Amino acid sequence: MKKLLKAGFVLIILLAVTGVLFAAGAKETKPLNFSLSGNPDTLDPQATSGTLTFQVDKSIYDTLAEPNEKGVIVPALAESWDVSDDSLQWTFHLRKGVKFHNGDTLTSADVKATFERITDEKTASPNKKAFDVISSIDTPDDLTVIFTLSKPFAPFLGSIASGWGAILPKSLIDAGHDFDSQPVGTGPYKMTEWIRDSKVVLDKNPDYWMKGYPKLDKVIMNIIPEASVQIQGLISGQLDIVYMVGKDDLPLLEKSDDIKIVKNLTSLIMVMAINCSQPPFDDLRVRQALNYAIDKQKVLDTAYSGGKVIGTFMDYGNAYYKDFTDLYPYNPEKAKQLLKEAGVGNDVEIKMYLPQNYPPHVKAGEIYQEMLTKVGLNVKIQMVDWSTWIGDVYRKSKFDLTVIGHTGKLDPNGTLSGYGNGKYVQWYNDEAAALIEKAAVTMGYENRKAIYDKVLEIMAKEVPFVYLGSSYRTQGIRKNVKGFRMTPNLDTFDFRWTEFIDE
Amino acid sequence: MNLLLFVLKRFLRLLLTILIISTIIFFVIRVIPGDPALVVAGIDASDEEIQAIRAKLGTDAPVTVQYARWMRDLVRLDLGTSLTSGQSVKALIRQRFPLTFTLAVLGIILGVIIAIPLGVLSAVHRWSLWDYLGMVYSQAGMAIPSFWLGIILLLLFSVKFPIFPLFGSDSLKNLVLPAIALGFARAAVILRLTRASMVDELSKEYIITARAKGLTEKMINYKHALKNALIPVVTVTGIQFGYMLGGAIIIEQVFSLPGLGRLFLYAIYQRDFPLIQGGVVFIAVIFSLTNFIVDIFYSVLNPKIRIS
Repeated sequence: MKKLLKAGFVLIILLAVTGVLFAAGAKETKPLNFSLSGNPDTLDPQATSGTLTFQVDKSIYDTLAEPNEKGVIVPALAESWDVSDDSLQWTFHLRKGVKFHNGDTLTSADVKATFERITDEKTASPNKKAFDVISSIDTPDDLTVIFTLSKPFAPFLGSIASGWGAILPKSLIDAGHDFDSQPVGTGPYKMTEWIRDSKVVLDKNPDYWMKGYPKLDKVIMNIIPEASVQIQGLISGQLDIVYMVGKDDLPLLEKSDDIKIVKNLTSLIMVMAINCSQPPFDDLRVRQALNYAIDKQKVLDTAYSGGKVIGTFMDYGNAYYKDFTDLYPYNPEKAKQLLKEAGVGNDVEIKMYLPQNYPPHVKAGEIYQEMLTKVGLNVKIQMVDWSTWIGDVYRKSKFDLTVIGHTGKLDPNGTLSGYGNGKYVQWYNDEAAALIEKAAVTMGYENRKAIYDKVLEIMAKEVPFVYLGSSYRTQGIRKNVKGFRMTPNLDTFDFRWTEFIDE
Repeated sequence: MNLLLFVLKRFLRLLLTILIISTIIFFVIRVIPGDPALVVAGIDASDEEIQAIRAKLGTDAPVTVQYARWMRDLVRLDLGTSLTSGQSVKALIRQRFPLTFTLAVLGIILGVIIAIPLGVLSAVHRWSLWDYLGMVYSQAGMAIPSFWLGIILLLLFSVKFPIFPLFGSDSLKNLVLPAIALGFARAAVILRLTRASMVDELSKEYIITARAKGLTEKMINYKHALKNALIPVVTVTGIQFGYMLGGAIIIEQVFSLPGLGRLFLYAIYQRDFPLIQGGVVFIAVIFSLTNFIVDIFYSVLNPKIRIS
């Protein structure tokens, strides 16, 4: 009898276990295989400036506010916010019942601890200054956070909504948790495995505050450095999305019936930067000549995967963009004439520094060189690695010309701040500098747009750069996948809406 | 001389090597342009933020202080903390080593299996079909870039006939194609050397004596000549193995493998000083160890070569 009971008991347990297994098995959707071309150094959103980190963290963390599909900043962890009349007090009302991946419930204390951590000298965050304007953070109740600013500061909301505004749990901050390798947020996915230089595995957060999302149970970010392997993976179905397809690989994808090619405009500002402080480029005529000498659309089409030409220092799709492309159209004859007037010939050696880790910039540099040679300039190319580029070219302005793309920002202040007052192009213009500072403390889109229009006009005329354009990004996506989004201006991946369509 | 003294001497030599190498690498990476704090900071950070990052990373201290710290930590067998990832250098190396080691072992086994029999056959039957086959192989092996071979193997066996995975690092299956790509080129080098060394050995006087004594060709070729011919082969194979333990950058890149090669490569790109230093010291130790093992192999092959 006892034996029988025991056997029955075992049977019941077995049935229960298999039942659970089957139930779980039936619900689980297949994982989405995504490809990343590099490994994020850290997943601590406060410890780095690396785009890869924020691209992965977008799925793990949330911010108080976030840009929607059109780039408009909308509520996220905060349901709403209001700004006092003097623009100094920003009150955020938090969503109720939001859970961190470790089980903690989100409260105002987490928000306070998060911003205290990023502004702490010891954290050494490269984005500290975005929040330095905060003079105090008050938490009158669990769901209300009041930021008091030391001055009115319009870009504040943009910083809150950027990747570095990610909210961390206070309990783990206090415990000195290793956020570098074990991120814990409130995001749609939790990180369950990270093999550096191989893959990041994200599992659905079943308690996510957005009901019914995310759609997928699992996203695997495969770190694949070789572009041709990514393309083959997509064609053979081992990958579902390749978010950046090079120009040369497009024909291969176009041949496949299983893949759709999606093109969208990036928020990059592609430029050839000019060092304005030293001859011959301290002469406006020479900088104008450079702009006349370049066939911009041709460079965009040949070096980058096409794009929209711009005439000033703002990305084409930005709400603050203003068109100045008529100012310096492609006109090599005009360029020659201006160079002649300025007395610059090919006896002056011009050094163009190219970041070798960005092949499209290198390619663009070679085309620039060719076009500049045609108008009689003597341009020598010098390849540098990324740390040298940042250290010598960008920080110390040791260059004549260089080619780079500036990433988009949620607020135009992020793009323009510091220009007119040196920066790496060593361009000084008191009027522009003063206007940029004024726009930062001015509230309201219309008011700010009027000021930025003027700034962009000065920059368009003074040409501290050859403004090239905003390039297209080409994505290759398997046809059975829909709803993959990239966050406007931030270029991060948003898998919340992504799902497989049943075949 | 006894073995203990030999090991002790070798160990002291290793320590001296590490001291010299760690000092050279420490200064070399600080002389070349580039600052890790700037890599972490990116292009939007302010000077004040960069200063804070330098303080956190410890790169704001004078070079002499940094050198003293590095030496102090090294004595304690502590390789420090990676600047960009915040992880301990030892842990990062430990994570990567098993994969690199397995790949190197597979690669070298494959290389030896192809090279030594083919090399010996080529030498014994000079100008025969075997010899031509060997020559063609060694030419191809040295001329074909492993990058290209890797891509072709992937296209064939991961895309056209999907037997092996295209990327990933979870199972031994992921290592088969990279080991072939790696072993293919190594085999070419070992093959040439085996043939040359064997040909050389077969023309020596003691072989003529052996023949005169009426030993069978088999005995002469495989017992007498081969054993001696293998000595330089073992040396080169050992060195090749040592190289592979430092990571095979190109193979890791093509096959998306998280091995030591990519770890150290990115460390250099990012000027991750402790990781570069730790990597170089690690490779130096590995090299010394393989050399040591090779020396022991010598004495097994030829007892006349005393450990000395």
